[in-house]
Amino acid sequence: MSRAAALEPVAPLAAPAVLAVRGIGKTYGANTVLSEIDLHIRAGEIHAVIGENGAGKSTFMKILSGHVAPTTGTLALGGRPVAFSGPAEAEAAGIVLVHQEILLADDLTVAENLFLGRELTRRGMIDDASMRRLTRERLASLGSSVSPDAIVGTLSLADRQLVQIARALLESHQLVIFDEPTAVLTSEEVETLLALVRQLRDAGAAILYISHRLDEVEALADRVTVLRDGRMVGSFDGAELTQADMARLMVGRELSTLYPPKGAVAIGEPRLEVENARVPGFIEDVSFTVRSGEILGFGGMIGAGRTELFEGILALRPGRVGALLVDGRAVRIARPIDAIEAGIGYLTEDRKGKGLLLDEGMAPNLTLSALSRFNPGLVLDGKREEAALGETIARYDIRVRARGVKAGQLSGGNQQKLLLAKVMMTDPSVVVIDEPTRGIDIGNKSQIYAFVQELARAGKACIVISSEMQELIGICDRLLVIRNGRIAGELAGEAMTEDAVVMLATGAAGQAGTRGETQA
Amino acid sequence: MTNRLMTAVAIGALLAAGSALAQERKTIAVSIPAADHGWTAGVVYHAEKAAEEVKAAFPGIDVVVKTSPTAPAQVSAIEDLAAGGNLDALVILPHSSEELTTPVQAIKEDGTFITVVDRGLTDPTIQDLYVAGDNIAVGQTTAEFLVDKLGGKGEVVVLRGIPTVIDDERIKGFEDGLKGSDIKILDIQYANWNRDDAFSLMQDYLAKYPKIDAVWANDDDMLLGVLEAIGQSSRTDIKYALGGNGMKEIIEKVMAGDAMTPIETPYPPSMIKTAIYMTAANLSGQVPIRGSVKLDAPLITKDNAQEYYFPDSPF
Amino acid sequence: MTDATMGQVRPERRLSVNWVDLGPFLALAALMVVGFLINPDFLAINNLTNVVTRSAFVAIIAVGATFVIASGGLDLSVGSMAAFVAGVMILFMNALAPELGTSAIPLGMLVVVAAGALCGLANGAITTIGRIEPFIVTLGTMGIFRALITYMSDGGTIPIDRSLRDAYRPIYFGDVLGIPVPILVSLAVAGAGAFILYRTKFGRRCIAVGANEEVARYSGVSVARIRTLAFVIQGICVGLAAICYVPRLGTATPTTGVLWELQVITAVVIGGTALRGGRGHIWGTIAGAVILEFIANLMVLSDFVSEYLVAAVQGAIIIVAMLVQRLSK
Repeated sequence: MSRAAALEPVAPLAAPAVLAVRGIGKTYGANTVLSEIDLHIRAGEIHAVIGENGAGKSTFMKILSGHVAPTTGTLALGGRPVAFSGPAEAEAAGIVLVHQEILLADDLTVAENLFLGRELTRRGMIDDASMRRLTRERLASLGSSVSPDAIVGTLSLADRQLVQIARALLESHQLVIFDEPTAVLTSEEVETLLALVRQLRDAGAAILYISHRLDEVEALADRVTVLRDGRMVGSFDGAELTQADMARLMVGRELSTLYPPKGAVAIGEPRLEVENARVPGFIEDVSFTVRSGEILGFGGMIGAGRTELFEGILALRPGRVGALLVDGRAVRIARPIDAIEAGIGYLTEDRKGKGLLLDEGMAPNLTLSALSRFNPGLVLDGKREEAALGETIARYDIRVRARGVKAGQLSGGNQQKLLLAKVMMTDPSVVVIDEPTRGIDIGNKSQIYAFVQELARAGKACIVISSEMQELIGICDRLLVIRNGRIAGELAGEAMTEDAVVMLATGAAGQAGTRGETQA
Repeated sequence: MTNRLMTAVAIGALLAAGSALAQERKTIAVSIPAADHGWTAGVVYHAEKAAEEVKAAFPGIDVVVKTSPTAPAQVSAIEDLAAGGNLDALVILPHSSEELTTPVQAIKEDGTFITVVDRGLTDPTIQDLYVAGDNIAVGQTTAEFLVDKLGGKGEVVVLRGIPTVIDDERIKGFEDGLKGSDIKILDIQYANWNRDDAFSLMQDYLAKYPKIDAVWANDDDMLLGVLEAIGQSSRTDIKYALGGNGMKEIIEKVMAGDAMTPIETPYPPSMIKTAIYMTAANLSGQVPIRGSVKLDAPLITKDNAQEYYFPDSPF
Repeated sequence: MTDATMGQVRPERRLSVNWVDLGPFLALAALMVVGFLINPDFLAINNLTNVVTRSAFVAIIAVGATFVIASGGLDLSVGSMAAFVAGVMILFMNALAPELGTSAIPLGMLVVVAAGALCGLANGAITTIGRIEPFIVTLGTMGIFRALITYMSDGGTIPIDRSLRDAYRPIYFGDVLGIPVPILVSLAVAGAGAFILYRTKFGRRCIAVGANEEVARYSGVSVARIRTLAFVIQGICVGLAAICYVPRLGTATPTTGVLWELQVITAVVIGGTALRGGRGHIWGTIAGAVILEFIANLMVLSDFVSEYLVAAVQGAIIIVAMLVQRLSK
């Protein structure tokens, strides 16, 4: 760590900046979310901005792209001061934003999406031929061979992302902002995207790259600006910074205790046994057993069907199991409620879409799966619900300004804790957690890991599905890797390494370069 | 010419022709709106009655009755009816003048005899025969009765139906009938020819006007709602509550000598029957009938009510 | 950070004013003031009871519609269904009247509620089992129910037997302690509705299903059953409304309940329930129904709106009422 401690913020160079940010800050009411940001973004440079959730990354990005007006400070574009009243103005000035979510019309073709709202016309009529030709050229220049006539809804996420980037780059651009562009991509697709970002840089554009994936930042960034609690920790030379340095700068403390120590929990009897699970289109044949006190991980490529495996087992989507035993008793799960009653709790990966009612308060969310517990007679007992919420807030360290806030207003970490508490309300003996820490900052991550281990210690069987290999390796006792609809292999103890997981997940162990097969 | 007279002529013609021409079979198609409220239900009833009677009286003529719920459906229906190419006559009560004019004209061009009932087509030259009630007279006859009974002065409220030519004509007739008297119309509002709406509107009239001498609802369905609202209010200032159309419930009141509703004006759905009889008469070849027939709207009182009473009709 | 964490967060008291819930009542109060300024007769006790009584059918049906809409559905068939079940009830009562006399009336009431529940069950089952949009399903049943009443009446009128008329009349025209029976019925229905929606498991699940079907499903809620039950509640409410409706004019006709579905939906929305589901405001719905009837009443009582423009003014008032609510949030 001595080398990291010696790191010094780099003074802005004298070379002219595409965008100069001076003293930018943003205050909502009494709440300051961003203050005193100073940085220069230069042409031909990839400038990464990193920070924990809530550090102010997205506010900063929204200010640059014209979605939000700063409270203090100035922006200068090409040496001239600018103030944007909206995203359209920022775009006109040459600042384009590639959104994290894919914002395309699924039912339209690639070409139609690319030119949506700025269609080319010829003598007053839509000029399809030119638009399709331009689309083909643009996509080709990004190294893609997607047809301009393909319907966007039929494309893979990576291709859609590419279309979205092509759309952003259609306008003349001096500065391109990428907001977590790899969140939806598989690791090979990430490589392609990183190459694309480099290509844009080499063509002379200034790139602002916002991410919390430190490996990408390390691989990509020429310069890294770290934000913490709305303030700038500093701007650093990308080549000098390791991932560990970045993590330390982001968190402001050492992260040696991110994962709880293993082996503290005794593993007991089988709690869930699944034989010959089949989910049409995803899973051919999977059998596994998870025991009391055990944390079993499921790894594999995105799209390998891990989520679908459990949705199929739990009757959330069509699927079949040969046999399913909970604590040795055979159970038939025909409807989602059967799974809950059998003692299997499932935390969905899609917290916002399938996990929580975002417009409802915390209490109704907490009790939704277990309403019978709060229904002594004919009537729901509001006091009992409130008491349960109080316990939950304390037990899971949910941080809110008021109890009445809606679930949608909570941060990702607090939502995840609420969702965990909601599933635990049904008192399951088996807990399946799908992507336990997606979109959650490091502080909350370590708490979630601790909760999972506590569940194991309480004798529950835990199943963790994750796309983050380090996480799986960090908390699981045993790991099953899914590939081609089957279990490609099992890893435990010292054998659980990233290399081993990747080999099993991609089939590289047997035949190299068959990644495509594992795609859904 | 009165309804009765025309019918007599037609029946006479039929009977005369019946024996003479039995060899060539002729077809009359009758296209009318489906029964969706009282009056159209009456039309369906009378059309079907007429079809039976004509077929029985004259074996050489076939009568096909077809009801349609909407104007486009009616267009399809008459096109289907005419599709065989041997349609001799079409009796039609059009859903709407605009939409039916062209299709009827096309059928006319195949040499079919066209009888239009109640609602005219936009081009009157298409029709060979036109049979209609007199909406102006419905309003006027009622107004004249009120002028007479109220001694030429008083205050009335009016409930009108749905903005259409029929509604406008009745209101115009009523206003014309009051001209020269001191009877004042306090209020006119739409109640959609619907008894529930009429009930509400009448309650509101009663709340708004402390003294009302008479109420006229330009359709009997609405009158039923009006009477219920008056009954509930226990108001005694209202001397007359009158309607129009010749609904059997109201005719019953007239026959029973009801004090509040002693008279009625007909706009009888039986006009379809008149039209079918006359068309049949023409088709027989013995009685060429062309032109327009406007059925009068005479005052129905206790004395002649029996004539306008069809206990089996739904209307 | 400690002051922002768990233990110290005080439970929120329900005493704080909730403007969304209050909105429709404020709008109602404002309408009363405007009404009085336009015509002092507006506030005459007779006028007020007449109007509120008249609003009862729509209010009762709208309570059911609040469940359907809150659970993410929509029922366009309620007006036709009201006419149909009213017709069924009258035919049933008339058939029993010669033997049972006035005891036919309570039996008829049971029949109409059962008929309503069955109609609702049909709507719900087709929607959920057939996986068809409720808009389309109820558009279809709207036509079916309307055709059935037309068929049953031959396009004319189904009148109640004369021997039952007088005994049944008080259900619309009677009162208890000066409060007309239909108003009491609608208050009772609303009370029961509010209890079910706010205080029971079913109500909570109804809201959850409307707010996010997937979340409800993943939480072990049977979405199909909840949706279907909401339609059944709607049907029962239609049956109850028919019980109050029939004694008024003593008939059911093919024009009974025409366009009630739109009034009902408008009442629900004015009451603060969003059409996209996930929220239900029973008392607001009642206020919405009363507001609609008051607006119609005011149109007649005021002199400055041409009869030709009444509908335009009504439409404008409804939009303004919605805007006031939106702004008061």
